[in-house]
Amino acid sequence: MIEKYLMKLRARDTISDAEEAAIRGSISDVVEYKADQTFIRAGQELFHSTLLLDGLMCRYKDRSDGQRQITEIHVPGDFADLHSFTLKHLDHNIMTLTPCTIAKSPHDRIQRVCEEFPRLARIFWFSTNLDACIHREWEVSLGRRTALERTAHLLCELHVRLGIVGLARSDGYALSITQAELSECLGLTPVHVNRVLRELREQGMVEFRGSEVTLNDLDGLKRVADFVPDYLYLGVPERGR
Amino acid sequence: MTHYFLHVRNGQGYTRDEEGQDFADLPAARAKAAESVRSIISEEARAGVIDLRGEIEIADAADVVALVYGFGEAIEILQGKPPQGPAGT
Repeated sequence: MIEKYLMKLRARDTISDAEEAAIRGSISDVVEYKADQTFIRAGQELFHSTLLLDGLMCRYKDRSDGQRQITEIHVPGDFADLHSFTLKHLDHNIMTLTPCTIAKSPHDRIQRVCEEFPRLARIFWFSTNLDACIHREWEVSLGRRTALERTAHLLCELHVRLGIVGLARSDGYALSITQAELSECLGLTPVHVNRVLRELREQGMVEFRGSEVTLNDLDGLKRVADFVPDYLYLGVPERGR
Repeated sequence: MTHYFLHVRNGQGYTRDEEGQDFADLPAARAKAAESVRSIISEEARAGVIDLRGEIEIADAADVVALVYGFGEAIEILQGKPPQGPAGT
């Protein structure tokens, strides 16, 4: 059930059998959500964290003029809001982009895991740090990268993140989101994203059609994006955890 | 709500909108077209060349073009010497 989460953890740390059992024991319920459902609203008091098992979801903020900025896409194996364990309510909303299956991890159970397995507490801490790394990279994209570069960068990032949990091939991956949602990630309009995707397609780098990303020239795409995946902290070095 | 498609025709050719979006009415779709053109122009400004020779076709689900929005409609360009302010400013 939480295999993708374990794959994500083991891409960066060793997890013992006892730790794995503790993580499994922290799950109380498994719930299905429909697509396009905001199931956590900013300010709402939270008593559990949401682990995404299947599907895609996102963190987002809406402006008063109706414009939406998606601040992170979550792939299976991500905790959408492990930070709610310490924050208790969020400053942003979380919605499903596709139909999703989630596992609920009550905060009192997370607390018990942290007390009994301090090493897992550090690993959970690392996980929220990793979200911050992704946010920083999106900040650079929104502030400094051109529309073409930031689109290419996001497609490269999702290739790596989906690959960690076994959901990407070397030449592509399924991405069931609309161009409108993609534009909300990139701070562009759907028309602009459509044009950028056309340009990337015509340059022979990538195609995004019918919920499928086809990487025709991954190296070229990485070059356009100036994509360096160091911020995703892959590998299992000694980090003192 | 009406589903409109915003197709772009310009120097790069014809970029068809296969997805479309729901809008309250045609003026709302037109406002989105204006926002889209401004987004594209801002990107072009960074590169130093602004091409206003494009248009957005706003088409309905039956592929009937309801409105053609010229890129030039989205922006006002003021040129020439700076306007004279009060002395000493």
